Amino acid sequence: MTRLPADIQTQLAAAAPGGVKYTSTTTQGVVTGWCDVANSEDLLAVGKMLLQLGARLAMVSALQPPAPEEEEDSDEGADDAAKPEKEIPKTFGGTPIDGKSYELDYHFVLGGDFLTVIAYVPAGGSIPSLTPLFRAADWPEREIMENYSLIVRDHPDPRRLFLDPAIDAAVLERLIPFSTLVNAASTKALWDKVLAAKGGAS
Amino acid sequence: MTATETAKTYTIPVGPLHVALEEPMYFHVDIEGETVRDVDIRAGHVHRGVEYLTTKRSIYQNVVLTERICALCSNSHPETYVMACEQIAGLEIPLRAAYLRVVAAEIKRIASHLFNVGILAHLTGYDTLFMYAMQVREIMQDVKETLFGNRMDIGAMCIGGVRYDLDAEMKTYLSAALDKLAPEVDALADTYRRNHTILRRSRGVGLLTKQQAIDCATVGPVARACGLAYDVRVDAPYAAYDRLKVDVPTLLDGDVWSRAMIRVSEIGASIQLLRDCLRDLPDGPTRLPDRPDIPAGRAMGKCEAPRGELVYFLKTNGADEPERVKWRVPSFPNWDALRFMLRGAKIADIAIIVNSIDPCVSCTER
Repeated sequence: MTRLPADIQTQLAAAAPGGVKYTSTTTQGVVTGWCDVANSEDLLAVGKMLLQLGARLAMVSALQPPAPEEEEDSDEGADDAAKPEKEIPKTFGGTPIDGKSYELDYHFVLGGDFLTVIAYVPAGGSIPSLTPLFRAADWPEREIMENYSLIVRDHPDPRRLFLDPAIDAAVLERLIPFSTLVNAASTKALWDKVLAAKGGAS
Repeated sequence: MTATETAKTYTIPVGPLHVALEEPMYFHVDIEGETVRDVDIRAGHVHRGVEYLTTKRSIYQNVVLTERICALCSNSHPETYVMACEQIAGLEIPLRAAYLRVVAAEIKRIASHLFNVGILAHLTGYDTLFMYAMQVREIMQDVKETLFGNRMDIGAMCIGGVRYDLDAEMKTYLSAALDKLAPEVDALADTYRRNHTILRRSRGVGLLTKQQAIDCATVGPVARACGLAYDVRVDAPYAAYDRLKVDVPTLLDGDVWSRAMIRVSEIGASIQLLRDCLRDLPDGPTRLPDRPDIPAGRAMGKCEAPRGELVYFLKTNGADEPERVKWRVPSFPNWDALRFMLRGAKIADIAIIVNSIDPCVSCTER
């Protein structure tokens, strides 16, 4: 089976005119490549190139990288007005890392090697669907759509996958208090029983 | 429609309970007469949000949590997760630990495959063979209980090595168990190869072509039964597999019988691997001395679980909890292949075909 070609970096750069940043590591002879794509619209072209190389789409991961934590102020309130607005760090392609942007990792396998193509999308943005190229993108993209409010454009079957349609959208973007989460599993019944037993004993 | 006319096609529900195993998956099956025309798979009955839970637990606690995603391939999950952790921290595990990881994985593989081929016999109505397969599997269940103290979740993995060791007595015991198992597996293989009942129900049933297997990105025995010789243990060796000779059986027919025979052959290959490990097991520590810190980073891990390639993605940011843990189980892409296998099949064969991908619903839905 074909493995990751030596000139993969050149091929990726040719497929993505917006620019790529490629790094790789090798463990026990297995190459793991990481490719940041500056423009998420280049994803389809990169996908087409990898399809021709015989790559298999193994997995798609989605996450919202958290914004860097605020540094503690030692002299609180001393010169708040004088301080410049803290700049939000940005990805290689210019997407702000504000805790609301999405990172999408498309993990391809070539032979035994890994190539992860990473695209960033700002909040409220959308990304083209890879399902027309890779059947295996169908379920992962549906799962991403039900977990986040990210729109996957031109997905042939954008139904819910695991979650019932009655459940609110973008579950992973909402803070659900633990007490709400376990509401169905935790009742007063045991406590009532304990109190009743105590009342009976006295 | 008048009383004398009948519709040509019907949609019938199959599942969600007890299609082949006691795990829920719901199939909307379009049928014409006795023949399946199309299938729509509806999942989500045992979705538990484990991926979210991993981000709320520490990196070390997740070794325990990931073992609870699945039962039959429970060992493969922490094994791949710790491999990803070790990659981020740049750790190299002791050689003895690498061999012991192979031992744990192959014991689980034998037990898992025996379960699946046993269920095939049960679904064909050949319950004597089912009981026999389960009785043979009991040898491996006893091995797990003796070596690890548990029959399913064996808790063998930790970041930097393994949590168990084999002393001389245990090595002798395991060796004796394999001697007992091998002739039983040969007898089972012979029955699956020649028994009329098994052959009538499984040969030429649930066909998947090589191209369809590639398009659906299938892995494991499902892919190898269609002639795709991909096995992570050979193509991307991990643990001690680069020092061992791994036999990867492939078949070309892509039917239910081929998938079962791949599993039966793999049991034999696993027995040989275990014997090789017992012969070559080097001395030394079973884990790194200190609990290692996992710095910020990202890593991919993959291993050959009983059902095929299991993939893990881990991203850390230096905090106690990981930023993201994502995994794709081998059953996940294999479900898609069912659509091709079931088209044109008879209603009576649905359960046998579903079982032939050795589906794991709790793994798929997490």
